[in-house]
Amino acid sequence: MTTATINIKGLVFLVADANPYFSRIIVGLLRSFGATAVTDVRNSFDAIQMLNSQKIDILLCDDKLPPHGGLQVTHAIRRKRDNENRTIPILIMSGETRESLVKIARDAGANMVLAKPVSATSLYDRLAWIAFTPRQFVDTSSYYGPDRRFKNEPYSGIGRRKTDKPADAVGTAATAPMQPAQGDNPVPTSPTPMGPS
Amino acid sequence: MPNPPADDPNTFFVETNFQKMARRAGGIPREQALENARVALETIKLGFRDWLDAEISELAAQVRKGRSGQPIGVAWAEAALIHCRQIRDVGATMGFQLVTFIAGNLCEMLDGVVAGATPRNEMIDCHIDALYLAKQEQYRHLSPEQLPELSGGLRRVLEVAHTGTGATGIK
Repeated sequence: MTTATINIKGLVFLVADANPYFSRIIVGLLRSFGATAVTDVRNSFDAIQMLNSQKIDILLCDDKLPPHGGLQVTHAIRRKRDNENRTIPILIMSGETRESLVKIARDAGANMVLAKPVSATSLYDRLAWIAFTPRQFVDTSSYYGPDRRFKNEPYSGIGRRKTDKPADAVGTAATAPMQPAQGDNPVPTSPTPMGPS
Repeated sequence: MPNPPADDPNTFFVETNFQKMARRAGGIPREQALENARVALETIKLGFRDWLDAEISELAAQVRKGRSGQPIGVAWAEAALIHCRQIRDVGATMGFQLVTFIAGNLCEMLDGVVAGATPRNEMIDCHIDALYLAKQEQYRHLSPEQLPELSGGLRRVLEVAHTGTGATGIK
């Protein structure tokens, strides 16, 4: 995880969470980091309306955002071909960091899952990671979003791409950690970069 | 024999405006940004106790509604779960680690009720009582590890709830 300095002045943040107190924390943290344009919404209707009507630079969205949920919002934005926000970074914030949730978020097109409760360190470092870690985008009939693979290692399994190096041993997958790692969060769960597909 | 390659997806690099702008020089150095955040959180904490009191009261009120039989079904548990998640998601950031731990445990129980498990009054009550205790000044700075009897007891309660043994509760 990079610890480089980020300059977020002037970037437009959209924070989507039904909990006003939690939103207040996130907005406060972002402003502490130098953000000058932060908008928060309480439901998925307002989130989608904002994303459809104005340029947003990054979305931080609760996975339980009522009524549709943050993953549906992610999916809706990624799927809409003419939306100027289609490729923005999306952080899904969740109080649950089960592997299944991480996988579902990844498959919806999210860049990262950020575990709640959030610490200043975890939020800053995830923003820095997104800023400094280039990732390809993938466009298929069933998925549009950041490449779910982090490395191009030899692989011969199902779903192998033409550009994959052949594996000497069958089944060597290009993998990155999927489980939430121990981090600096105030509780024993931490934000997790999306693993590979 | 390796599997045949799937059709290659259309892959391309996108340099988002966020990436371009965030990499500019002139940002607040990380250590300074984190210090700013610490100061900001201290200000936000000022209203936290009142907010927490109100959220725990709402949570308890929803549980009472469930026992009264109105509303019918698990609507009470869904409503209680909203308040419980809010407490869980904020507590530790505000320095109330134990509150987050207890609320997290209770969220799991309420999730189970929403999914169809039989609610167990005494187990839910035990968590709400623990929340009232954990928000007090002498407990708020403690982590679950510093109170092994309490945290271990609540974990066991959750295990019992998951295994489906124990007393029956709200119908």
